[in-house]
Amino acid sequence: MEENTYNLTFNDQKRVLIRLMKYTLPFRKVLMAGFLMLIISTVAGVATPYIVMIFIDEYLTPGVFPESDITWLIVIFFLVQVVGAVTTYMQIYLFQYLAFRVIQQLRIDAFSKIGRLGMRYFDKVPGGSVVSRLTNDTEAIVEMFIGVLATFLMAFFMVISSFIMMFVLDFKLALFALIFMPVIVLILAVYRRYSANFFSHARQLLSDLNAKLAEGIEGMKIIQVFNQEKRLRNEFEQINEMHYRYNMKNVKLDGLLLRPAISMISVLAIALILSYFGLLSFGGTVTAGVVFAFLQYMERFFEPINQVSQNLNIFQQALVSASRVFALIDDGRTEPAQNGNEDYGITAGRVEFRNVTFSYDGKVDVLKDISFTAEPGQTVALVGHTGSGKSSIINLFMRFYEFEKGEILIDGQSIRELPKKEMKEKIGLVLQDPFIFYGTVESNIRLYHQDMSFGQVKEAARFVRADKFIQKLPGDYSHKVIEKGSAFSSGERQLIAFARTMAMDPKILILDEATANIDSETEEEIQKSLERMQQGRTTLAIAHRLSTIQDADQIIVLNRGEIAERGTHDELIRTGGIYHKMYQLQNGQGEMS
Amino acid sequence: MQVFRKLGWFFKREWRSYTLGIIMLLLVALLELVPPQVIGFVIDHITESTLTGNILMQYVVLLIGVALLTYIVRYFWRIMIFGASYRLGRILRNRLYRKYSEMSPGFYQKRRTGDLMAHATNDIQAVQATAGAGILTIADSLITGGAVLITMAVTISPKLTLITMIPLPLMVILTSYYGRLLNRGFKKAQAAFSRLNDKTQESVAGIKVTKTFGYEESDHEDFRSLSDEVVEKNLKVSKVDALFDPTIMSVIGMSYFLSILFGARMVLDETISIGQLVTFTTYLGMMVWPLLALGWFFNLVQRGRASYDRIEEVMLTRNDIGTDYRIEDAPDGDIAFDIGAFNFPEDETAGLRDIDFTVEKGMTLGIVGRTGSGKSALIRLLLREFDTVNPDDIMYGGHAIRDYELKNLRSRFGYVPQDHFLFSATIRDNIAFSNPGLDDRTVSEAARLSHIHDDIKSFPDGYGTVVGERGVSLSGGQKQRISIARALVLDPEVLILDDSLSAVDAETEERILANMQSARTGKTNIITAHRMSAVSHADLIIVMDHGTVIERGTHGELMDLQGWYHDTYNAQALREELESSLDELVERGDE
Repeated sequence: MEENTYNLTFNDQKRVLIRLMKYTLPFRKVLMAGFLMLIISTVAGVATPYIVMIFIDEYLTPGVFPESDITWLIVIFFLVQVVGAVTTYMQIYLFQYLAFRVIQQLRIDAFSKIGRLGMRYFDKVPGGSVVSRLTNDTEAIVEMFIGVLATFLMAFFMVISSFIMMFVLDFKLALFALIFMPVIVLILAVYRRYSANFFSHARQLLSDLNAKLAEGIEGMKIIQVFNQEKRLRNEFEQINEMHYRYNMKNVKLDGLLLRPAISMISVLAIALILSYFGLLSFGGTVTAGVVFAFLQYMERFFEPINQVSQNLNIFQQALVSASRVFALIDDGRTEPAQNGNEDYGITAGRVEFRNVTFSYDGKVDVLKDISFTAEPGQTVALVGHTGSGKSSIINLFMRFYEFEKGEILIDGQSIRELPKKEMKEKIGLVLQDPFIFYGTVESNIRLYHQDMSFGQVKEAARFVRADKFIQKLPGDYSHKVIEKGSAFSSGERQLIAFARTMAMDPKILILDEATANIDSETEEEIQKSLERMQQGRTTLAIAHRLSTIQDADQIIVLNRGEIAERGTHDELIRTGGIYHKMYQLQNGQGEMS
Repeated sequence: MQVFRKLGWFFKREWRSYTLGIIMLLLVALLELVPPQVIGFVIDHITESTLTGNILMQYVVLLIGVALLTYIVRYFWRIMIFGASYRLGRILRNRLYRKYSEMSPGFYQKRRTGDLMAHATNDIQAVQATAGAGILTIADSLITGGAVLITMAVTISPKLTLITMIPLPLMVILTSYYGRLLNRGFKKAQAAFSRLNDKTQESVAGIKVTKTFGYEESDHEDFRSLSDEVVEKNLKVSKVDALFDPTIMSVIGMSYFLSILFGARMVLDETISIGQLVTFTTYLGMMVWPLLALGWFFNLVQRGRASYDRIEEVMLTRNDIGTDYRIEDAPDGDIAFDIGAFNFPEDETAGLRDIDFTVEKGMTLGIVGRTGSGKSALIRLLLREFDTVNPDDIMYGGHAIRDYELKNLRSRFGYVPQDHFLFSATIRDNIAFSNPGLDDRTVSEAARLSHIHDDIKSFPDGYGTVVGERGVSLSGGQKQRISIARALVLDPEVLILDDSLSAVDAETEERILANMQSARTGKTNIITAHRMSAVSHADLIIVMDHGTVIERGTHGELMDLQGWYHDTYNAQALREELESSLDELVERGDE
């Protein structure tokens, strides 16, 4: 939202534009071909009046029509028409091709950046705005490429070629005609100056209007209960009125300086041409064809100016969009770096946290000097209420965030040194809210693991006991998942997520409140699956229901970033501390929110 | 054309602008006919060597006069026609907003915010375009096209006009054919784009899973192939799109050729002069735009009609609560619930049955129960978000609540909703929402009672701090307390807290409740809560389950009953104890 209002300085605009233009470099050939077509079509365009001129002056005025000459002229006329049409087509197509390819590359760059951004970025930036960078903003740039740059190029060539032809026909008159140039430039400059201002005002007012409207819809209940309909309606109407006034200012400005003004100049240009040739005809010979051709070129000179001037505002908006996309691509909040020493690997799966201190914002430590060890095959459970730091431990272990103090080791090696691939393959994480992707049940278990056989997919599902419910689905493994798996129960979704993790056969298993959202009917099933999954794997588990971690080799009770208690279930019950109270609470009353 | 009939009221209202605008368009069309004629005359004078300084002077002055006059008229018709269309947008937007503000929550339940927004933005835009560009295109193509055509036929040659017009229908046919192709292709391109959009959305939402499995590369590849599809579909559109210009050029080229070929013959026959031929070809160039405008017109009207129908549908929707009233005064007294059965529209499950209790004036009522037990439903009926089956189901001061004017009924309530919605405005404006003219002392007093004053003071801009999307982000508890202050500032006859203390801690809750008790003697309070402690001081506590009352009484009575209230109260008390022992532990650790 906050980016809606910002305007770019001239230098920023230039920088963004240059960077955008660099994206065309890989498509040099297309660009060249497009230019070539543009040149040919422009030449064909200016040739037509020239041919007509020859026809009028050489044959029509004298009234002589040698058959072969006329035939040739007709052939050339049609040839020029065909070449003009074909090259125009090619030229338009090639420039659009270029635009779409450039935007595709820009989108791909932005998307791959998303993969490299750290969770820190996603904490701060709402998902919707990231998506909008990639889609809406890039779409605005497409508009600019097609609507502005291509039109601008064409217009430029047309203006130049018309001028050249005018110079060819009559040097002196062309020179006279040049005086319109500074007038037009001046008009456009004045227009730019005021319209940029009016346009951004009108835009701002429109976005205020929409914000008021959205807020009105969302908060209508409050507005009504407090009897404030009338007041807010008045506020809305006031902005609406302002918006109308700015629109009218825009209409007036357009009317004063755009088409009406340019058209007036073009009629004045006709007056100039006619008086020039008229005066010339008193002393010498002026042919009808030349007058005709000159008028045609003058006409061609004005039309593109009309087109370009109306698209200038799109241009500015697109540059703002482009700068936002580039800001995403340049964002420094990337994921923690992995040194990736190829000799390192995860073998036994011994996990150690050594004096780890961590803070999200650099001010408040959410983990303070945490040390613990999980021996290969052991299960360590992390317990504590919201904000105690248990999720942060997992976030660090999964390398979602970089930590500054202390060390996290797997099999005695720093997790910073392990190759990324090794980390991803040997560590399996099950989240509280299993994310189900668009696709089938099979594709959700397999994800992007292409060399996994269908047998392995089925085996993973069977292992976590997901096979029973999957087989009941229409089309079983190829059953289409709708709307993020909303047709499945939370337990079924979690089972799919289990299978997804088990299919990788990880060495270390991380359970981030894997049973928190499960309804009690399926809980027992899930619990059995979880037990099987933990066998032979080092497991770090965050649990909500204490009943699920009673068998853990070690239970760590966290409180405000510190380890408050640790030990086995029996030991902690005996000590009679926090864990004991929590356990009583859950067992006695069954409910804890 | 139907849309023009439907917009009749507007054209009637703006008949002056439109009449003047169209007369000016006519004038422009006529003025535009002059330069080609002048060109022809001058060329003829030149070729026949009859041009004199005087004649030339006259023509040049005529042209300059035409240029200036056209400029002025063009400027004004824009203001007339586009101005009127912007006024239409303004009117429709205001009406729609008014309609929205009159509709009950039932209306909002059935519709998505996005759709309601779209009516006020895209749909109004489309209708506005119909009344502006639509009128312009049809007037222009009929007036300019007709004027040019007639002039060509009358002043030069009807035969030549007819001959050169032969290729032009081809342009109309081809471009409208392209238009259809384009539409279809555009839909496919749009679909591919929205798949790419969905993919992006999914990737961002599932970023944690992707990172966990290390599938960034593959995800990237997936995106690439989807983006290839977008390019491919768009290029198909481009292939058609790129046809427009060459087609128009070629057709015009054909007409051109015909006009020169047959025109040349007529020049030789001396039926027309060379100057007239040049005039003729210039007019020919002027026919392109009116023909294209005709195609645009149909497009604009089609979209405008669909949009206007959607807007009309909303405007004609009836409110599902009645707005007739019989009693002029605001209600006062006891509130009696006697609901036999009630179901929300289109929702069979969340209903109420056999509710019977009375809230005496000045009493504090507590309503507790599980999520979905019907606590909020009672509040919503009391606020008349929906109407009960029988008018007498809820009585206020001895009369059915629907006997009062809605405004008067609502003026009795200070309501704090569950979802603490705040407006994008300063904290002060949010608290003084019911009356922006309230003085600062009243506002800060309400904030003090809601235990939010100190928090507000700690913000950089104090009460001037802007909240909401564009302002500071507040915690849920802070938002709740501000919305409590918003209700308290009214000093309402009936204060309704609909689970509005859920996000504040127990201690703060206790203080707010104590503040309320002392500040609101003699006034009615209705409190729904998940936490039993929020209602334990109430004069009457109602326990709800599955839409009906299962326990009722004071805290003491309900504890003696040993039922749901008793169990839940104890469990929550134990939890409190645990939290405070955790706090103690931390404090000990800090020493």
